[in-house]
Amino acid sequence: MKFLIMISLRNLLRQKRRNILLGSAMAFGVLILVLATSFSHGISDIMFNKIVAYVAGHVNVSIREGKGQMISIFRDRDRLVKIVKEKTGDKLKDYDEGIGIFLRAIGNGKAENMVLVGVNMNKTYSDEQRKEYEESFHMIEGMFRDLLSTDVENPVILSKEKAALLNVKKSDTIRVRFNNIYGQTQSARLTVTGIMSNDNIFMQGVMFVEIKNIKEMMGYRPYESTAIHITLKNPQADAVQIADSIHEALKPGPAFIAADLSANGIRAKATIIPYMGNDDAMKKIISSSFTLISGKMDDVLMKSGVMVSDRIAAKLGLTPGSKMEFRYKPKFEAKIIPHSVEIKGVFRSDMTTGSDTVYMHEALFYPKFYDRVPDLTADVKDAFLPSPEAPFYKALGTEWVLLDRTRDSDEMRKKYRSISKRKIKAAAVDVNSMYESASDVLKLEGALNIITFGAVLVLFFIIVVGVINTLRMTIRERTREIGTIRAIGMQKKDVRTIFILESVFLTLFASAAGTILSFITMWLMSLKTFNVIDNPMGILLVKQHLYFLPTIGGVVKNILLILAISVVTAYFPAKRAAGMRAADALRHYE
Amino acid sequence: MNIIEIRELKKNYPLGTTTVHALRGIDMNIIEGDFLSIVGPSGSGKTTLLNIIGCIDSASEGSVKIGGVEITSLNDIEVTDMRLNRIGFIFQTFNLIPVLNVVENVEFPLLLMKKFTKAEVRKRADKLIDEVGLTDHAHHRPAELSGGQRQRVAIARALVTNPDIVLADEPTANLDSVTGGQILELMKEMNRIEKTTFIFSTHDENVLRYARDILKIRDGVLVKE
Ligand SMILES: Nc1ncnc2c1ncn2[C@@H]1O[C@H](COP(=O)(O)OP(=O)(O)O)[C@@H](O)[C@H]1O
Ligand SMILES: [Mg+2]
Repeated sequence: MKFLIMISLRNLLRQKRRNILLGSAMAFGVLILVLATSFSHGISDIMFNKIVAYVAGHVNVSIREGKGQMISIFRDRDRLVKIVKEKTGDKLKDYDEGIGIFLRAIGNGKAENMVLVGVNMNKTYSDEQRKEYEESFHMIEGMFRDLLSTDVENPVILSKEKAALLNVKKSDTIRVRFNNIYGQTQSARLTVTGIMSNDNIFMQGVMFVEIKNIKEMMGYRPYESTAIHITLKNPQADAVQIADSIHEALKPGPAFIAADLSANGIRAKATIIPYMGNDDAMKKIISSSFTLISGKMDDVLMKSGVMVSDRIAAKLGLTPGSKMEFRYKPKFEAKIIPHSVEIKGVFRSDMTTGSDTVYMHEALFYPKFYDRVPDLTADVKDAFLPSPEAPFYKALGTEWVLLDRTRDSDEMRKKYRSISKRKIKAAAVDVNSMYESASDVLKLEGALNIITFGAVLVLFFIIVVGVINTLRMTIRERTREIGTIRAIGMQKKDVRTIFILESVFLTLFASAAGTILSFITMWLMSLKTFNVIDNPMGILLVKQHLYFLPTIGGVVKNILLILAISVVTAYFPAKRAAGMRAADALRHYE
Repeated sequence: MNIIEIRELKKNYPLGTTTVHALRGIDMNIIEGDFLSIVGPSGSGKTTLLNIIGCIDSASEGSVKIGGVEITSLNDIEVTDMRLNRIGFIFQTFNLIPVLNVVENVEFPLLLMKKFTKAEVRKRADKLIDEVGLTDHAHHRPAELSGGQRQRVAIARALVTNPDIVLADEPTANLDSVTGGQILELMKEMNRIEKTTFIFSTHDENVLRYARDILKIRDGVLVKE
């Protein structure tokens, strides 16, 4: 073998001009290929680990409740965080409450629409993360840590561009107006503690405050969470599977309140259970499953509908039109608030409905339920819950509504359209991976893959045409030589190997040259500073420079691919050469 | 002892719609250690006959035995081994490997045999290069040698494997008569030292004086004197 390698290497040097020409063409192809893959890998890195990770996370869990389902609010932060941690395990890089609000900012005589984003400064960041942040948010004045300062009201950091537009300096106050989670217009004062220079134009319109401050401004309570953005170590591999398993873990339990009722000075314990009344099918289930002793089913099915069991009605002396109070121990709040409701009907209780029960229309139930989530660990043991076999079970409310998982952004949009028609009163929990929430950004990856594929194709043709032609000429020129070595006693397969090796070495040298050239080119190209202002392509730059991310694996993969193409291409001419009859080959004269 | 036995050997080449009868029925025996010349005009079938004896062309009809082995029934791999181990070739146009120097060219068949150590290969090659008188040129490439020197390398290469037979197809046709004479002298000397059977073809009656036995061939058949 060593001998065959030696011969093919020396043969390679024989037709220097021809091989240098073909080698240069190959090297050029490799150059383009390595450039394309490194660039597209760089872009994916920006997309997956910077843009997508900042904007929506690789996986995000949102929960929307209230009118128009615009507010993302999860009433039990710890429960959600526990699930996220459990289901991501060691694949988790980081999770964050994602909160950003559009607002009107008024500086010194100037106003501007901006986005306010919360950052968690109390978290310990890894060195890598810290470096990443420091690199992308280059502080000109102040420090990121200043966001934690309690000396001033709502410390804020903004870009030098926006600071100029608002005409503010460090320590100045910015007034902002925005809608809080209850839909009320609010105003607040922010104190400029830092000014940054950010090369990413998306980030230039963003102001940063500590997450605690922005949550307070928006009206969140400490135990409540916004949407959770999860960033993963290996998003492309894990995002979908992790979104699926978090989704699975977020299947809601039944919603109910184990309450103390009181009316006419009498008290009783009962379970308050919500029923859905948002569409005709649900209404039908309720009206056919419950028999009213008094009151009208039509009234019960209205948004203010409440029906109590015959036993509770008898005990508390309730009839349609009379009022009762209920109270329960909330999970997070110390204060117990009594609620007053008007009875619309009394139903005949049986095994399935339970006799110490109150059924309440979801529109009445959920606002109270969510406002103070009941402590489901207290007093629940004696609470009656209808069995899943009960004919009306389907029409009962759950803790929240879990939206189906979707595979892409089209499906996701379709899902949201159908949700808005359903008029859900319960909160809607949604788990998305970046493949749905950021698929528009990810489409760019597809485009880049096409460019890479194009480069592969060009290279493929260079190799196929070049190698076949070169080998054909070479074989013709060396016909008598082939006859000679066959006559001397070299086996066919060794002759074939010599020619294939010749192509392999040419390809290897060309690949090495192309790779070196590509690294030089990348270095030269990333020296150039691009001043993109208000150009969306600016997001593809890192600190105003083109960003290439070559990987050893990627380069090796490319070279192996090219080698494979050239071996396959060389195989057939080489086989033909080896298969020539020695006698004919020896008689061959040019 | 006959090293080669040929019976009823015919060789036809299809040429367009016709057939060229290059050999029309050859019968001959060649004894071991002979120094035989096959002489005949151009186109008489010398090359074809040597090629068939050398296992690089196949017979159309008839039987060819080398050392008792019927070669017409061997497959390509066996025939190739046969050439490597039992036959040496010397060509009219020398046919050295241009990318290998003199030693490497001579070592080439030994390396193909894959049964000698590097040192054995080198020793055997050096010995033959010495015998053909090219020790001073051992590291020259063929392009740097004269025609006579090249043919000496070819002789060394043909003999390095210790073959039973060396076939030389018009070995002097590309050389001037003085050099050609020296080459034939060398071949004869090697025939004497190594006891190898030599068969060389020629169309030049002048070189026949070097031969021990002579076979005349004309239009694909052997002719008696
Ligand atoms: N491959 C071939 N195809 C067709 N005819 C051939 C081929 N090789 C040789 N011939 C013919 O066979 C005859 C003998 O050729 P050859 O053995 O080369 O003769 P010599 O070596 O004595 O000159 C010639 O007529 C030649 O034209
Ligand atoms: Mg001839």
